[in-house]
Amino acid sequence: MQKILPPSASNPGARSNRRPRALAATAGLLAAIVPAVLPAAAPLPALPADHAERMTKGEATFESAVRSALKEHCLKCHGGEKVRGDFDLASRETLLKGGADGPSVVPFHPEKSRLLKMLRHEEEPFMPEKKPRLPDALIDRIAEWIEQGAPFTQPLVQGKKIERDRSSVTEDDRRWWSFQPLAAVALPDRNEVHPIDRLLASKAAEKGLSLAPRADRRTLIRRATLDLTGLPPTPEEVQRFESDPAPDAWPKLIDSLLARPGYGERWARHWMDVARYGESSGFEQDYDRTGSYHYRDFLIQALNSDMPFNRFVQWQIAGDEFAPGNAQALAATAFLSLGVFPTQITINELERVRYEDMDDMLSTTGAAFLGLTIGCARCHDHKYDPIPTRDYYRMLSTFTGTVRSEIELDVYPEQTREQKAGWKDAHERILAELGAVETSLKPGLEKFIQTGLQARFEPEDWTVWAPESVTSTGDTTFVPQADGSFLTRPGTGPKSPPRENFVFSAPAPEHVLTGIRVEALVDASLPNSGAGRGPKGGFQLSAIRVQLKEMDGALRSLSLASAEADFEQDKDKFSVASALHGKPGTGWAVGGREKSPHAAAFTLESPLAPQPGAQLIVTLEFQTADKQSIGRPRLALSSDAAPRWNTQLLEARLGSLLRSGAAPQTASEHSLFERWWRARDPKWRAVEARRVESEKNQPTGLSKVLVASESYPPVRYHTAGGNVETYKETFVLKRGNVALKEEPAAPGFLQVLSRAPEASWSWTPPEGATYAGRRRALASWILDEKQGAGALAARVFVNRLWLHHFGQGIVRTANDFGKTGTPPSQPELLDWLAGELLRSGGSVKAMHRLIMSSEAYQQAALKESSKETADPGNELFMRRLPRRLEGEAIRDSMLAVSGRLDPTLYGPPVREEGGGRRSVYLRVKRSQLLNTMVSFDQPEPLASQGFRPTTTVAPQALILMNNQHVRACAQAFAERVGKHCGKNAPARDLLQRAYAAAIGRPPSPDEIEAGSAFLESQSAGATGPAGVPTEALADFCQVLFETNEFAYLP
Amino acid sequence: MEPNLLREITRREALQRAGGGFGWLACAALLERSGFAAGAASPHNPLAPKRPPLPARAKSVIWIFANGGPSQVDTFDYKPELQKKDGQTLEGFDPKTGFFPNSAGPLMKSPFEWAQHGGSGTWVSDLFPRLSQHVDKMSFIHSCWTGSNNHSPALFMMNTGMTRMGSPCVGSWVTYGLGSEAESLPSFVVMSDPLNRGLPKGNALNWGAGFLPSVYQGTWLRPQGEPIENLKPLASRGEGGQRAQLDLLARLNRKHLEQSPIEGELSARIQSFELAYRMQTAAPEAFDISKEPEHIRASYGLDQKHCAHFGAQCLTARRMVERGVRFVQIYSGGMENQQSWDCHSDLVGNHRGFALEADQPVAALLADLEQRGLLKDTLVIWAGEFGRTPTSQKGGKPGRDHNPHAFTAWLAGGGVKGGFHYGESDEVGYKAARDKVHVRDLHATILALLGIDHEKLTFKFQGLDQRLTGVESSHVVREIFA
Repeated sequence: MQKILPPSASNPGARSNRRPRALAATAGLLAAIVPAVLPAAAPLPALPADHAERMTKGEATFESAVRSALKEHCLKCHGGEKVRGDFDLASRETLLKGGADGPSVVPFHPEKSRLLKMLRHEEEPFMPEKKPRLPDALIDRIAEWIEQGAPFTQPLVQGKKIERDRSSVTEDDRRWWSFQPLAAVALPDRNEVHPIDRLLASKAAEKGLSLAPRADRRTLIRRATLDLTGLPPTPEEVQRFESDPAPDAWPKLIDSLLARPGYGERWARHWMDVARYGESSGFEQDYDRTGSYHYRDFLIQALNSDMPFNRFVQWQIAGDEFAPGNAQALAATAFLSLGVFPTQITINELERVRYEDMDDMLSTTGAAFLGLTIGCARCHDHKYDPIPTRDYYRMLSTFTGTVRSEIELDVYPEQTREQKAGWKDAHERILAELGAVETSLKPGLEKFIQTGLQARFEPEDWTVWAPESVTSTGDTTFVPQADGSFLTRPGTGPKSPPRENFVFSAPAPEHVLTGIRVEALVDASLPNSGAGRGPKGGFQLSAIRVQLKEMDGALRSLSLASAEADFEQDKDKFSVASALHGKPGTGWAVGGREKSPHAAAFTLESPLAPQPGAQLIVTLEFQTADKQSIGRPRLALSSDAAPRWNTQLLEARLGSLLRSGAAPQTASEHSLFERWWRARDPKWRAVEARRVESEKNQPTGLSKVLVASESYPPVRYHTAGGNVETYKETFVLKRGNVALKEEPAAPGFLQVLSRAPEASWSWTPPEGATYAGRRRALASWILDEKQGAGALAARVFVNRLWLHHFGQGIVRTANDFGKTGTPPSQPELLDWLAGELLRSGGSVKAMHRLIMSSEAYQQAALKESSKETADPGNELFMRRLPRRLEGEAIRDSMLAVSGRLDPTLYGPPVREEGGGRRSVYLRVKRSQLLNTMVSFDQPEPLASQGFRPTTTVAPQALILMNNQHVRACAQAFAERVGKHCGKNAPARDLLQRAYAAAIGRPPSPDEIEAGSAFLESQSAGATGPAGVPTEALADFCQVLFETNEFAYLP
Repeated sequence: MEPNLLREITRREALQRAGGGFGWLACAALLERSGFAAGAASPHNPLAPKRPPLPARAKSVIWIFANGGPSQVDTFDYKPELQKKDGQTLEGFDPKTGFFPNSAGPLMKSPFEWAQHGGSGTWVSDLFPRLSQHVDKMSFIHSCWTGSNNHSPALFMMNTGMTRMGSPCVGSWVTYGLGSEAESLPSFVVMSDPLNRGLPKGNALNWGAGFLPSVYQGTWLRPQGEPIENLKPLASRGEGGQRAQLDLLARLNRKHLEQSPIEGELSARIQSFELAYRMQTAAPEAFDISKEPEHIRASYGLDQKHCAHFGAQCLTARRMVERGVRFVQIYSGGMENQQSWDCHSDLVGNHRGFALEADQPVAALLADLEQRGLLKDTLVIWAGEFGRTPTSQKGGKPGRDHNPHAFTAWLAGGGVKGGFHYGESDEVGYKAARDKVHVRDLHATILALLGIDHEKLTFKFQGLDQRLTGVESSHVVREIFA
């Protein structure tokens, strides 16, 4: 008799009372909620006393009913050809061990056996999956068998070791349409000339439908121009195309549109949805990622230069490995690192967050290039597509070590070279000018030395005070700097007092003392690289006290009369004057300008004559709030009658030289004098300021670029207690839980899309390379149309092109070519197009030409109710359906029509929505998405989006009615129309021009009548020159912007 | 969307939505076409009201979000044992429960006075002298628990059912499922602290639509200035100018529409301008609480400095649901620490302050809804993102730290029992002990009260039927249903 095995105790967590995951969540959304309170593991049920007898009966039940039932209904997916959900019932041992969701059979306890609930369809997943429920009688037999201890007489599969990750994908799985190689499509023998039309028409003919006639030229040029560039054609372009007699006018037009930079700008935005493009990190801090925009610029340039499809894919996954040293290729890798990223986490969360980060890379790659929801296989084998969890982790391990970095790169070296040459010329001119001024100043200095300088000369400038001792009442230490300042180092003890005073002391000066200047210099070591120790780099000086310690030790306070500063946070509690009195709760602060150096001058009530032998003590107090000390103080003294905060600062040595009245002797003394003399000259100061500015603006060509690679230090998390961002290995995780690691995952690809050994795509980087070559292997597999995923990748890509040209894809679910997606309405067409992409060498522009030259694309948008009835979803593409333009295209069209469009290409994100730059350049800060864009359905950039739904809601109308930027465009448009038509133009002319510019056609008589009446009524009461007032015309222009015709791609 | 919901869109509604007269057939075709796979589709007006598939107890929701996490054992979860064990070490207490493990102190009794109220004899601390008069309208759930002890994940959890950012929030799901009865107003509005104490952590993601169409995101009413962007007609046009514009627009659009194969969609767009036009007056009217009678204003405490701001928001909320707005969320308190109910230190000062702000306005809201007959259709929810530890967080003025294991939520009106208590925390209020209710269960319950099966309200995204309660199973707390 078989030995009785207790239920597996190896995995108590899995015995929680949670129900199975009825639905898979996408990895991007499945929160790794490890409940803080998990029900304690239930104690193992005790064996019944009669278990031996029961088991014997159970063997009979097994033989008579259960074995055949398991074999027939369950084994194929659970232990036969594959092991779905990690659940293998081929033997008792594996049956009792259970699957990813823990044991589902508890011997002797049918009531505790979840398997029965699944069989009875009381609990999901219902089993057998997608098949009818088993007969009740049979389920009862299985229940009986479990009650008898669920014994096996022998395993269901004899002598066969099940190789899990290989065998879990079957030939059956590979037969899914999108996993198959591209079909060789024979074009149907039909009258249509264009292959697309032949393929479409032959299918439509089955339903008795045919293509609509070609649209008129005006419609065609508007359609093509908006479609390719996102901007409407100008009236002149429309006119030219309408009257172009050439037979190839249409292809010529398409070529010219594809050659415009606007093409890349529009189509890059389509891909940015797919790439979940954003320019900040998301989560609560949502830091700006200044280097993201180079990725957007890469897309625009790639499209405009017709970068071959292969390279387009290769660079985004592994640009650094395919084109080492190419900054553009490196910028393209940001595709992997554009995802959101929590910046404030605890050390315990690091590993989980790292897996989430890699998951974002893999999920986005899968969705964008393969149209697969690979992320679903993170916690369990994919419920619908043949993606075992192991495949998921093997693919995930491609990104082991791939981190997000922001590095300085010269992305456009040629441009930089030009800029540098230009800068050098200009800078040399400034230097020459400065030299001339300096020469001109020399005689004056000589004269001063001879006649002006005398003993007790008192410069009006500040002299650096070099105190003998600087101490803190707290535990701050001070590091003297070459410029006479002291860099503070806060104490590190746990009990560092948060508030302190600084005490400076030195022998009293040998000159009259009239004032003291306190400077707060900035330093990179201070918070926010600011001037103080506050969290934002600010400080608050609650009081300054000046004392004199006489030779006899008596301490005398010197009263301060007034104070001024370069900047003060307000005139009240944060004013510099408040530091004179030290009233509680007040003090000089610089909120809002923490990152600049600051200076304040304090004037003594009465000048202090030299006090030989006395000690000057200056105390800076920071008692108003915690951690508000100045970070790098420097003090200076003045003998001027009315010291100002902003006069020159003399080195201590120069101060004493000047005061001694002795002419400079050595070269170094002379140069001290020269520098001082120059700086007093306003003209020199002006030229010098220009020199400094120019120096600062020396072009380096370098800018921050967001990349993904194994080669650069990662953008860091803020974590308490450590910062280990990368892990050397990626493990297979049970249920996606980093605490439940299984074996390390060896890099690999989806079995179902691999028809060759994985080694055939692997690539060994050259000696000394900092990258691993794994991403390159992934890209090679994705693009291998013979044995890898290339056929699928090509299908997914051409479907995206089709989607944007026709408003809907051949596969409706552009990001899902798996079993939960919709199958292609025209599979032959899709395969033929994918084949064309490959045959054209991956030329995307060739694909545009091909698609747009079809009659299907050029159909007129007609109301044809019979077609509507026969094909309501337009799956046959025998109708042209206009569709609303995206928010970006609507805004850009208004800018273009009104003449406000700024055609500047590329560059850092634009914050100002009211400006003229195209919408593709508007900043995408995840916490502050633009209302105008989001209202028009721009997706949240959190996960890849293949398709934008179109909603029609009142807030969109409100934008067009009341938004000031829309109004500004309407006004500019009106002025432009007015200018075009000349002074006092009749309403009819204005309307003609406005229609031509905005909608690309002349107005109908009815429209002229309505428009004229409107202009007249809006002009009523206007007192100005004759003719239509611009305001009235602007009202009309705004109406044009609001029309359906303006907002729809015809 | 769940197909049953779609079937509820009647022919009459469709015709209305399509602007009267334009064919339903065209609409039906476009439903298919408008983008959601598997037959699901968004009609042209995605906010058109839809009848829920199940009997609805409530039609709208007002959610008072006690931001920062109020202490259950100092508000509505009376624990005599805690009073007795003051100063003792809590056996089995995990110092990592909260955010500051090094400051975890012993058990600390509630410093507030407790008394029983109403016919139900419900214990309430003296933080809520006015609200406690309404306990017989409330169902208390004392056994709530959540998945994170940190503000933003817990806020996301409470609002979206996920601790990660980016999923649709409850209000978005509800307006997605039910649309809105208030066609001239936003369907889902959010009010945050107007006293410059910050937004809840995670900002707008707490009322974001995630992967749902953006039309379902909450409309945040700006606390200062115009509450809604682009609502105010431009000054540059004269009186009647805008009306003339829209009349002309309608004329031009109608002409264009006649020949178009997408007349349903285009006429919906024509309607959207008329709706927007009405919204310009309807919304400011709805926000204008100055017209409310003096006794109503006084009842909400608009004449009291300490609660006028919150009273105004509660009164606005009533005016919203009165006009058919589906979902209103009001945040009590600002960002965190002493800006909100997040009482890490000075429990007494913190909770006294925020309770004082909320007590009178929320009590007035319940009374006002009731006297207008609105309470039966309006579900009022009061909860934070988590609870607090029964132990102290040490300090000069001790506070309490975050506690995901137990907190109390109450629901009132909208078909819930009054004076009813469900679930229990343990004897000191540390962990939910009996009839535990996860946030997901709370979500499932809210949906059920609105007539929605949480397993059936789904949206196809990334190949899956996503839902508010995610992949885990959830249960509806039917026990609180009247």
